[in-house]
Amino acid sequence: MQQAAIHDFLVKYFKASGCRIFSEAHKDLLKVKLTKEMDKRLMNRPFYWHYIEKTGGIPETATLVFRTSPDLEEGEFVHFGSPRLHQILDSTKDLAPFIRLYQNLPSDSSPALEPWLGINYKISYQCDLKKDRICSVGLQLINGTLIDGFQEILQTLALTPKMPDYCYTLRPLVKTASGIGRIERFIESALKEEKTDWAQLAEKRWTRDRELLNAFYEQQNPKPESYFQECEALKEQYEPRILVQYINAGLFYLQSSSFLPGFPSKAR
Amino acid sequence: MEPKIHFDRSWQESFLKRIAEDGPWAKPELFTLAWQAEKERLVPSFHGLIAPDRLPQLSLHPHQIETARTVIEDMHGKAILADEVGLGKTIEAGLIMKEYMIRGLAQKILILVPASLILQWVAELNAKFSIPAVPQRKSYVWDQCDIVVSSIDTAKREPHASLILKQSYDLVIIDEAHKLKNHKTKNYQFVRQLKKKFCLLLTATPIQNRLSEIFYLVSLLKPGYLGDADSFARLYKSGKTAVRNEKKLKTLVNQVMVRNRREDTGLRWPKRIIQSFEIPFSEEEFAFYRSLSDLRTAGVIQGFSLLTLQREACSSREAAFLTLNKMYRTLAQPQSEMLWQSIFNKLNAIRQNAKAEKTLELIRKINDKVIVFTEYRATQVYLQWFLKQHGIISVPYSGGFRRGKKDWMRTLFQNRAQVLIATEAGGEGINLQFASHLINYDLPWNPMRIEQRIGRIHRLGQESDVHIYNLATRGTVESHILNLLYNKIHLFEQVIGELDDILARIDLRDIDKQVEQIFEESDSEGELQIKLDNLSSVIRSEMDPAGEELHHAAGGDT
Repeated sequence: MQQAAIHDFLVKYFKASGCRIFSEAHKDLLKVKLTKEMDKRLMNRPFYWHYIEKTGGIPETATLVFRTSPDLEEGEFVHFGSPRLHQILDSTKDLAPFIRLYQNLPSDSSPALEPWLGINYKISYQCDLKKDRICSVGLQLINGTLIDGFQEILQTLALTPKMPDYCYTLRPLVKTASGIGRIERFIESALKEEKTDWAQLAEKRWTRDRELLNAFYEQQNPKPESYFQECEALKEQYEPRILVQYINAGLFYLQSSSFLPGFPSKAR
Repeated sequence: MEPKIHFDRSWQESFLKRIAEDGPWAKPELFTLAWQAEKERLVPSFHGLIAPDRLPQLSLHPHQIETARTVIEDMHGKAILADEVGLGKTIEAGLIMKEYMIRGLAQKILILVPASLILQWVAELNAKFSIPAVPQRKSYVWDQCDIVVSSIDTAKREPHASLILKQSYDLVIIDEAHKLKNHKTKNYQFVRQLKKKFCLLLTATPIQNRLSEIFYLVSLLKPGYLGDADSFARLYKSGKTAVRNEKKLKTLVNQVMVRNRREDTGLRWPKRIIQSFEIPFSEEEFAFYRSLSDLRTAGVIQGFSLLTLQREACSSREAAFLTLNKMYRTLAQPQSEMLWQSIFNKLNAIRQNAKAEKTLELIRKINDKVIVFTEYRATQVYLQWFLKQHGIISVPYSGGFRRGKKDWMRTLFQNRAQVLIATEAGGEGINLQFASHLINYDLPWNPMRIEQRIGRIHRLGQESDVHIYNLATRGTVESHILNLLYNKIHLFEQVIGELDDILARIDLRDIDKQVEQIFEESDSEGELQIKLDNLSSVIRSEMDPAGEELHHAAGGDT
């Protein structure tokens, strides 16, 4: 994440969470007055809030100053890797776990909106090494159409939390719970198609270390507790696994033509 | 093997509940930001390091980055870090830890270090790596905190031990791991029992010389890697200490150990510029110094006490007075009263301190930050007063200070005072590389202490050449040490860590005792010289054997 992107992210984040942003002279400087909710979330001072709430005092929320340039004097330096930024990045998941949105269409288009279930996942491939990818799948809850890269498409559409006046939603045929199941099976089959060379290599390393361990304890029968503990540790270290972690999910009511190729998706 | 696929389903119930209750729903911008936050933090490849880019304020050296990569990718997170002193093993360990944390491979981490280094580790991990490590203070930290720094002596005792053994650690780091070479000790057994996925053992002392040590250290990391104890002995041991199949063993060990040497790192190391001064005592000082021998001649004190007094007299009359006064109170008899009085009179007659004058002269000439090392508290106080008289501000530093006070003194020295006066115990664990001048006001008898003193400023991060000034009073025990021992073994010119190696090889770790003994037992100057000479040639003969081999080989051609 470049410094400018961090600045941009922070501005969006504090605006969206309702904090007041002071206009600043410098483009690398950001000054915000936190709301009560955000103060509680970011400032880690439960005693203060407990005291204020018990005594009925008037709370003074914190004002934070961030700088995204190392050369400025004022403010807390945030960069990719600074604990403050990661605290903020982490908090987004708690702030936005679930959503429901409607497509905002020009009034002359068809008023029927189709229901979609969208789930965002982070997929991690883990042994003694680890890598991740991100995955977003959408399921149309009437005809069962599945779309990979759902979130990217959503970001090109005009969406609103309130149903537009002239629109109505179609009734889903697939229940949400079974929709989640379909998406999981879709991801699972996609994962099974993938190359597993990384897992084979990890298993080789695992086997080699296990053989060494067995040789070390060869003379000891029955095996001591430490042997089993070491075995378990090797499993922890090497066993190849794929973790599909949830980021966030939502219900989306969209016009069917939004997903046709060549559709002018920026239509507003 | 098919990797197991695990779905996180913890969220599903609350999602369905939200739908049933028609909200509350997130704000659209935040929903997108949450997606972006995850996307930005993805680790797209199994290989390479992410951590260095996330630590823009830490300047890492290429060998440190390469070490972290090797440990993670080639050694699968189990390794001995055995860099020479001063190359930044702590940084390497921190970097590995950070990488594992970013990748989500390590959360629960235990760091076992000598008690005196706990706070330094905590401070470095927090400041340099933004790793929220905490020092162990209460027994509940084991459960509640993810990253704990503790001493092994605390950890192995109850109630801690059983709490720790219940934890499953992703990463265990052990500093000064050479202390674990004996597999029969409680420390070794304790570490053995820890549940650990990844493990780093840090040591600066090369361990190849004692075969079983390397075996037990490696077995801590990877049991069976060097076979079991019997097969190891059969394969590699010949006789008591000699090695067989050395090449094979080395190859094996090198796959679990990283040892960077100073010369391989390609770093420019600042030069050491050494100046030694033999300073003549003033007449009064010399008279006092000589009169001390009368105490021994009269049978009032033993050789050892005399030696102590003489060394103190070389430092300052204040230092000598404290000991002398103590002795007088316990040992004085009516018949020796005259003798004591004459000695105290001579002490009182001293009007100046030749070494202090020289120190002042040097400090003025250097006109930059200077660290003065002395062995004695009394001298430390005296010097501070003496410098103050001449308008030079100094701060004291002692090993006995609390951590906070140490940090404060260090900061004062960095920002305000020209001089830091440290007593011996201050030698360990403080980094002062912003200064490049060091005065050895008096010389300790253990050359390792000199190493530690110099190591405070001659380390990674030192940008100027390092100047070392040695003061010894002419014609005293001190000048013997300087001329007959230190200068002969080229002590001051040596690379840090080298002496440690040498002394370990010849089993001469308590060299100061040897020196003491030589002084005590020698009846004449000649005997003293011969004995010190022997000692220095033993040390010299062990120096740089590789270089000697080369020399022989080259000689063989002609």
